[in-house]
Amino acid sequence: MKVPNRSDQGLWTGFLRSAGRFPGHSAVVVEGKTLSYGQLRELACRIAATIQLRTEDSSTPLTAVFAYRSPVAFAGVLGSLLAGHGYVPLKRMFPIERTQVMLERAECQSIIADLGSLPQLDQLLSSVRKPLVIVLPDLEDTGHLQKQWPMHVFIGSRNLAPMNLWREPSVNPEAIAYLLFTSGSTGIPKGVMVTHRNVAAFLEYMVDRYHVTQTDRLSQMFDMTFDLSVFDMFVAWEAGACVCCPSQKTLIKPAAFVGEMGLTIWFSVPSTAVFMKRLGILKPGRFPSLRWSLFCGEPLPVSLVAAWLGAAPNTALENLYGPTELTIACALYRWDPQRSPAESERGIVPIGYPYPGMEVLVVDQALREREPGQEGELLMNGPQMSLGYWKDPDKTGSAFVTPPGRSEIFYRTGDLVRRPVGNAPLTHLGRIDSQVKILGHRVELGEIEAVVRDASGLDGVVAIGWPATASGYEGVDVFLEGVTRDASVLRISVASRLPDYMVPRRFHFFDRLPRNVNGKFDRTAMQGQLKEGL
Amino acid sequence: MSEYSSKGLRDFLQSHLSENLAAQGRDFPDDFGDTCDLLLSGLIDSLGLMELMTAIQEHCGREIDFDALDPEQMTIVGPLCDFVSDQMKTFQSDEKLLV
Repeated sequence: MKVPNRSDQGLWTGFLRSAGRFPGHSAVVVEGKTLSYGQLRELACRIAATIQLRTEDSSTPLTAVFAYRSPVAFAGVLGSLLAGHGYVPLKRMFPIERTQVMLERAECQSIIADLGSLPQLDQLLSSVRKPLVIVLPDLEDTGHLQKQWPMHVFIGSRNLAPMNLWREPSVNPEAIAYLLFTSGSTGIPKGVMVTHRNVAAFLEYMVDRYHVTQTDRLSQMFDMTFDLSVFDMFVAWEAGACVCCPSQKTLIKPAAFVGEMGLTIWFSVPSTAVFMKRLGILKPGRFPSLRWSLFCGEPLPVSLVAAWLGAAPNTALENLYGPTELTIACALYRWDPQRSPAESERGIVPIGYPYPGMEVLVVDQALREREPGQEGELLMNGPQMSLGYWKDPDKTGSAFVTPPGRSEIFYRTGDLVRRPVGNAPLTHLGRIDSQVKILGHRVELGEIEAVVRDASGLDGVVAIGWPATASGYEGVDVFLEGVTRDASVLRISVASRLPDYMVPRRFHFFDRLPRNVNGKFDRTAMQGQLKEGL
Repeated sequence: MSEYSSKGLRDFLQSHLSENLAAQGRDFPDDFGDTCDLLLSGLIDSLGLMELMTAIQEHCGREIDFDALDPEQMTIVGPLCDFVSDQMKTFQSDEKLLV
């Protein structure tokens, strides 16, 4: 369904349009319950009206959503937007100190929380110094909380404003639709400001490309603190489709979930599929209902694709790429069994081609454009480029730059790619910061990882420069995830394909490698293990 | 005691988890026991649990039909170990019958 002139609409507009057209259709399945578009609209509008009535006008209004895989989580996201606020997703499983920093930095006036997050809300409030409006749609009586925290205003289900008091906000396409915190290298999370206009450009392309209709059922594998969740919710709601949200426990049985929900569109990090493959649950023909299988968030190993396509014979598979700063995903690649193996590099599926309106630059360290075929850092700009980091002009200035000879600002992704020759796809080669000097040689750790991945047959491989010297590193250690292999055999195999200085000195086998909060490999943690002598 | 008995699997689980937690610089919990819910206690996340299932399967050397276990139970130490142990008993008795 092509939606004309989306760019001037709010992120909530598509949901309201679908709720008007299909009020009885399923909008979301969560906690084993189905909420129709009409039911979700009513709860979201009542939350929105409550916020509109209880909070003061602010130049940058933001509301935190402290809810996890519950009806309130979905109604809270929509309720924030329908109140004219941007939403700030918070997660009770994160360390409470981290959540406190996010809440404080975002300067939210209000929080929407679900019942399951009440224990952590209590801890969160202990550090809050400004009065908040706290909406608890699951809780009838909030008297005890009001008594305990008199500075704040608590509103339970009984006191939610009626739907008829809700007023649709005016749309400012440049206003923040969501503020999403990503990990910062200094340890302090950075808030990425994504506008309605940014998401509109993304949604317009996605809904059109995947021909999403009201009969589709989309997975919600991503937590709301991961921006890929925006795809699940808003692509579905734009088209009147249903979001199927597994519980925390059902997340560990993804194969059964696909069948039980009759999913038609799957979207996850590749790691989920890697574990499904290792568990032996990617049985041939197991997922006949899937018509699209999408992966994003980390490199997609070529070795995974055949197993997945065997399990999902009616699916098309695409690899999506994008940092939060460029709004969810900004490049993609359609897997083609004939063409793609040759187009893949280092055992990783290409990231493909930029989304409409997004411009690509591949540059050297001085931000000068590289020649076709050469490696360099990927810079991008276009309608999906976010405003930068919340109240952090220094970090924004160093990541959003104007390359020499250009007048536009580009975002530095920190990703190493090869500048395509002709119409070839972009290939992802690793992170810029994974380029290290070993005994004076410039080494791309991604290349070592690719060779070890191939030689070991394991998908989870991370190379770390170690130990540090004044000019770089003395050698390389490699961490592997999966069944232990014979290290001497592996070393011989790797040594036949890499120069001496690139051959890993040690292989460390783990059942599971450390990952960050979004499930991506945590190199810093692995470096820490080496420092501590493992 | 067989390493695939319920007790043997608990020992495997304990050593596996303590190794993984140590790798993250975290301590093994004092109150680890049969009623411990690995997910809800925050010991591991959902990807970590999938990895644990993989490790159990690789330890047992056979495919375990985790789909047959209620997701509410499979994150709790006691029911998880009992379930895997029962599956292994079934495999072993089937193999005896074949012999």
